[in-house]
Amino acid sequence: MMFASGKLIQADWHTTAEGRDMLSCLFTRNKQGLRTFGLLERPPLSAHIEEVHYKIFVSGKSGVGKTCTVAKLSGHDIPKSHIETAGIQTSTCYWPAKVLDMNKVMLFRLQFWDAGEAASKKFDHIMSACTDRVDAILFLFSITDKVSFDELHQQISRLTSSGDNITKLVIATKCDQHALGEVTRKDIRDFEKTWKIPILKVKNILDNNQSDTNDTVYTMNALCEHLWQRDLILAGKLNKPILLPDSETTKTITSEEFI
Amino acid sequence: MVAYIFCLTTSGGVPVFARSKNGLKQLPFPVIGSLNGVHMFARSHDVELLSTVTDDSKILWKSFHDSLTLIVVSEDDNADDCHLGNVLSHVFDSMVMLLGFDDVTNIKNVERFKKDVRVCFPLIDKFVEDQSLLTFGDLVNAVDVIAAAENAVLQNFLDAFAECADSPYGCLLIHGKIAVATRKWWNLTSRELVLISLLVSSLTSCSSRDIPVFLPDGSPSVPHRLMTFQLTKFIDVCVLCGPKPSLNELEEEVGRFWRTSYESLRAALQNHPCNIPSSFNLDSNILGFIVVNIETNRCLCSVYSSSTTNGDESLDCHERRHILRSYYKHVVGNYFASKVEGSEKIPSSFTHSAMDTYMTTDTYKCYAMLSPPHQIYILYSTDIPTFAMRSITEKTLMILTKDKSTQL
Ligand SMILES: Nc1nc2c(ncn2[C@@H]2O[C@H](COP(=O)(O)OP(=O)(O)O)[C@@H](O)[C@H]2O)c(=O)[nH]1
Ligand SMILES: [Mg+2]
Repeated sequence: MMFASGKLIQADWHTTAEGRDMLSCLFTRNKQGLRTFGLLERPPLSAHIEEVHYKIFVSGKSGVGKTCTVAKLSGHDIPKSHIETAGIQTSTCYWPAKVLDMNKVMLFRLQFWDAGEAASKKFDHIMSACTDRVDAILFLFSITDKVSFDELHQQISRLTSSGDNITKLVIATKCDQHALGEVTRKDIRDFEKTWKIPILKVKNILDNNQSDTNDTVYTMNALCEHLWQRDLILAGKLNKPILLPDSETTKTITSEEFI
Repeated sequence: MVAYIFCLTTSGGVPVFARSKNGLKQLPFPVIGSLNGVHMFARSHDVELLSTVTDDSKILWKSFHDSLTLIVVSEDDNADDCHLGNVLSHVFDSMVMLLGFDDVTNIKNVERFKKDVRVCFPLIDKFVEDQSLLTFGDLVNAVDVIAAAENAVLQNFLDAFAECADSPYGCLLIHGKIAVATRKWWNLTSRELVLISLLVSSLTSCSSRDIPVFLPDGSPSVPHRLMTFQLTKFIDVCVLCGPKPSLNELEEEVGRFWRTSYESLRAALQNHPCNIPSSFNLDSNILGFIVVNIETNRCLCSVYSSSTTNGDESLDCHERRHILRSYYKHVVGNYFASKVEGSEKIPSSFTHSAMDTYMTTDTYKCYAMLSPPHQIYILYSTDIPTFAMRSITEKTLMILTKDKSTQL
């Protein structure tokens, strides 16, 4: 499902006065990351803002950076070393975005589901709990691990079918490790062409600067835009995209500059 | 202080894992191999090698169920061996808890096991990094609690939520210390209580979890599901369930059951890190204390006294914690018996069993007292007259155990 980014969600809303205002409630004071909220809490935003909930399963080979990516996107501390995740771990975060078809700001509540590989192999309830009534699946691979990229095909076919209504996105992790990259830009472009699934890029490192914040804004917007697109399709307000080769005019959601 | 922990298979001596304290360089395999070699050699001659000391360190071996041998290298703090043996038991129980007794005692494929065991590292590292632990439960084999006036109210919320989860087992953790737990939760054994609390605080922070756990005593071969929900930062509610309800289902109930508790939770959170309400009037010379109830498996500990805020910081909290831990290890196994396995073998040179003991140094004083089922260990500033320590210790124990909110 590729489409021009910014068609459904106003891409630069976060730089408007209204957007900046709301974001300041969501980022920690030193802007190092998003603030976390307990299950009994909600960001201090007007109660009038409508909330939409999504369950997102994060899939990928052990060690590609699932737990770190979720921590980064949801504002939790990023683990410093690889720790095999025990069982299931969910992280909730909030993201406001201006949806263009209704011309209003919605609060997206995203719940990421992350499970350790060993536990999901040993106990069958883990996988089914993660994929039950899931709205989106993020397929992760690391640009420093070609095998994790090659496994994507198999993972996507195992967890989804063409008829389902699950939003699918691919995330390339460890994009700060270009020197060690085993997956090329061409690999990525070819993948996007074949699968019609956009690839987002993340670096799960703390570099407390504006470009890092911009990356987070970009990734979160992209995620929300795809979830919103699915909602519109399910509501019959948007046609399901026809899977034809990209026309020249379609700009993919990933930009090379983003790396 | 623990420096290294090694794990090898008992029969073949195959290394399974090595954990070292942050900042220490890893020991080369030949060294680990020889450490294991001497133990195996003794074994083959029907001798059990228990421990040894070098100039400044102590090494202790322990084999579990003819399956795994654990070796700990630690600085020699002149404590009884029972404390290091206790550390190794915790490490073994950690593996049982996350992998199951059968998989740990009957290893079919070592390479596979080496991979599986990695999930235990955050928990095992808690014992390796014992100097950074903010709780004392691992040391005294009783679980840390936090006292709060709100606990009585919170108990009702917890009982209702556990019932909704269709589970008799529920507890509310504030910064990894139990504020309240259901009646059944308190029936867990001391090691289960200690390990579950430590497991939750060893994991990366998140909104909710669903983790298969085996109870080393209650259910070593059949897993339960430990589900946790973060109500607000640093407060998790935990339940132990069977196959149902699902994480999805139970999480949907969290708001309904806990929303009206929010103010009480925030208020109870204020008692961290003191672990007791500020209304408690303890002697101003007290720098820290450990109170254990060896029957109920609970301990209440603090190194943040009211005087912590009063300028004159002769000992910071980190030092206070370290001194209390060392003092406990100095007393238990030498003078007092406790929940720590092996501590009952007090040196036979004593003609009587001690009920009180104390120690004075240039920078602090310590006093310990037995008052079954309670034990209390107090760290004092040097300002306290030595003759006053006994009565103040007695009085402090009264204050801490008689108040309803401490549940001791
Ligand atoms: N440099 C770099 N390292 C990363 C990144 N994401 C994850 N890692 C590292 O990759 C390892 C595995 O990450 P983790 O999230 O635990 O993997 P998981 O098994 O998929 O959950 C950890 O050591 C992380 O520090 C990234 O974007 N950049
Ligand atoms: Mg993980």
